[in-house]
Amino acid sequence: MIKFILRRLFLTIPTFIALMFVTFIAIRLVPGDPVEVRTGEHGISPERLAYFRHELGLDQPVWKQFFDYVWHLLHGDFGVSLSSNEKVLTEFLTLFPATLELSFAGILFAVLLGIPAGVFAAVKRGSWFDHTLMGAAVAGFSMPIFWWGLLLIMLVSEGWGLTPVAGRIDMIKFYFEPTTGFMLIDSLLSDQKGAFLSTLHHLILPMIVLGTVPLAVIARMTRSSMLEVLSEDYVRTARAKGLSEFRVISLHALRNALIPVVTVVGLQVGGLLAGAVLTETIFSWPGVGKWLIDSIGRRDYPALQGGILLISSLVIVINLLVDLLYGAINPRIRHG
Amino acid sequence: MANINTTPQSQPPGQLSAFWSAFSQNRGAVGGLIILLIIIVLALFAEWIAPYSAIEQFRGMTKLPPAWAEGGDKHFWLGTDALGRDMLSRLIYGARISLFIGLSVMSVSVVIGITLGLVAAFMGGAVDSVLMRVMDLIMSIPSLVLAILVVSILGPSLTNTIVAVSVVYLPNYVRLVRGSALAEFGKDYIIAAKVAGVGPIRLMFVTVLPNCLAPLIVQAALGVSNAILEAAALGFLGLGAQPPTPEWGAMLADAREFIRSNPWIVTLPGLAILISVVSINLFGDGLRDALDPKLRRS
Repeated sequence: MIKFILRRLFLTIPTFIALMFVTFIAIRLVPGDPVEVRTGEHGISPERLAYFRHELGLDQPVWKQFFDYVWHLLHGDFGVSLSSNEKVLTEFLTLFPATLELSFAGILFAVLLGIPAGVFAAVKRGSWFDHTLMGAAVAGFSMPIFWWGLLLIMLVSEGWGLTPVAGRIDMIKFYFEPTTGFMLIDSLLSDQKGAFLSTLHHLILPMIVLGTVPLAVIARMTRSSMLEVLSEDYVRTARAKGLSEFRVISLHALRNALIPVVTVVGLQVGGLLAGAVLTETIFSWPGVGKWLIDSIGRRDYPALQGGILLISSLVIVINLLVDLLYGAINPRIRHG
Repeated sequence: MANINTTPQSQPPGQLSAFWSAFSQNRGAVGGLIILLIIIVLALFAEWIAPYSAIEQFRGMTKLPPAWAEGGDKHFWLGTDALGRDMLSRLIYGARISLFIGLSVMSVSVVIGITLGLVAAFMGGAVDSVLMRVMDLIMSIPSLVLAILVVSILGPSLTNTIVAVSVVYLPNYVRLVRGSALAEFGKDYIIAAKVAGVGPIRLMFVTVLPNCLAPLIVQAALGVSNAILEAAALGFLGLGAQPPTPEWGAMLADAREFIRSNPWIVTLPGLAILISVVSINLFGDGLRDALDPKLRRS
């Protein structure tokens, strides 16, 4: 197991180096001189230009610039945002809990609904429920979620007036300093009556929108994995022993059927972050996804560079963890 | 979609009818195929089918509701958008753009994917390792974030959307081709071909490749729908096709502000995306079940 972990860790190092290289190159490929972007197009003396170039390290050879870049990254320096003059890392970390909260809610929604639905469809194979669910699942993972979000806003928020349209909490009624950055926790800690409910109220629609695609994938996966398991000998044995149908399904079959589902949930992480970009844009959710899109609009390349690097590193780390976890559950993977 | 239809023909005729009888049993797949064919016809003959041009503006006819709704005009079946352009015509021309994006992305990533995948499998060693690490890297960046990165370097346009989304989906094909090629390597017919003196290029593309096609075709079909979704998302974020191109995602972005006053302007383009993606996915599922029983979901 140690060998497996070490090998897996070792394999991620080149990926990280390549990732840093890509973000480093990408920023240099962007049209426009970074110094000119900062100082304006005209009215700069050659001495000052040289000073700025030196300041930014642009007078150094490219390989040295890359090593400086990596050196800074390793010391937690991801550059300074052009629009806010804040450190990119600080900005990212301030906004990230919002994205994390939304993603957690989304995946929780998907798992809590998807697994029971998939199990039920497998048990009642061929029933109208099965057919409806599988039809809905195809629609679910074909869903353009940006449209789904607008549609839900149109129906639930505008039409029935049930949920708010944007943001994480009613900012007019409630205000408190963020302690954890997770609004659900902060609102509970704040001791303000109704704050938690308001947060929950704001979370519902974005959660459904972000959770829809994973929900469809998980329901389908659970169903097919469950169908496979239900025809196994040990399920027949469990039935023959006279166990109740509920025990057979929930204890004997489901436990084994869940192994591929765990992998699928792990694989959703990258997609979830991509979905968060769209969901946050639609619901004005102040997370890193919306920040990234806004940074493009502002041509804030350091923020874009740092943001992409941070998000991708995070996905690499999470994928690594999922792999390790899977190796722990399923010994066959370790030796593959 | 062309290579999907032609592939079974290169196999013995018995397989084509076997494929069709397996495929036609799946009602969802046949339904998907029919809708897909309708969309293809609309896209190909948009000039003749669409009542107006996609960018012609009718003054004084802005934001008309669909013809059957109150205040609708029978000359504009699905109403008009904020600039007085006919929605139906824009949607029909949009089909052309979306299908074009989907097919281009699929072709580009399939061709490059096959080449890189076979090269990785045949060369092995350092080439294989480097290629696979690069693919790992591409896969580790969330698809939309990667597309955003590419578009922010190249600038937003339809062509760059295709480039960006092709890059995003490339690893799927490379890994798939490499995996199936490696699985074929130990088999007797490869050894026989080598003994017979078949050169490496011929061995790659003529001997091995046809035996890796079934999963590739399935992946390619589903790749078209993914590409359409991804491109629409980029269009929606303002990073894809630029106005006045009638791209469905960009149309949605334009319509956002009318969500309260004119809901159909928001509803229709999204519905068009959903219908096309669902039909391609149903068709792809059917293809998978018919072509590759091993991959069949129960």
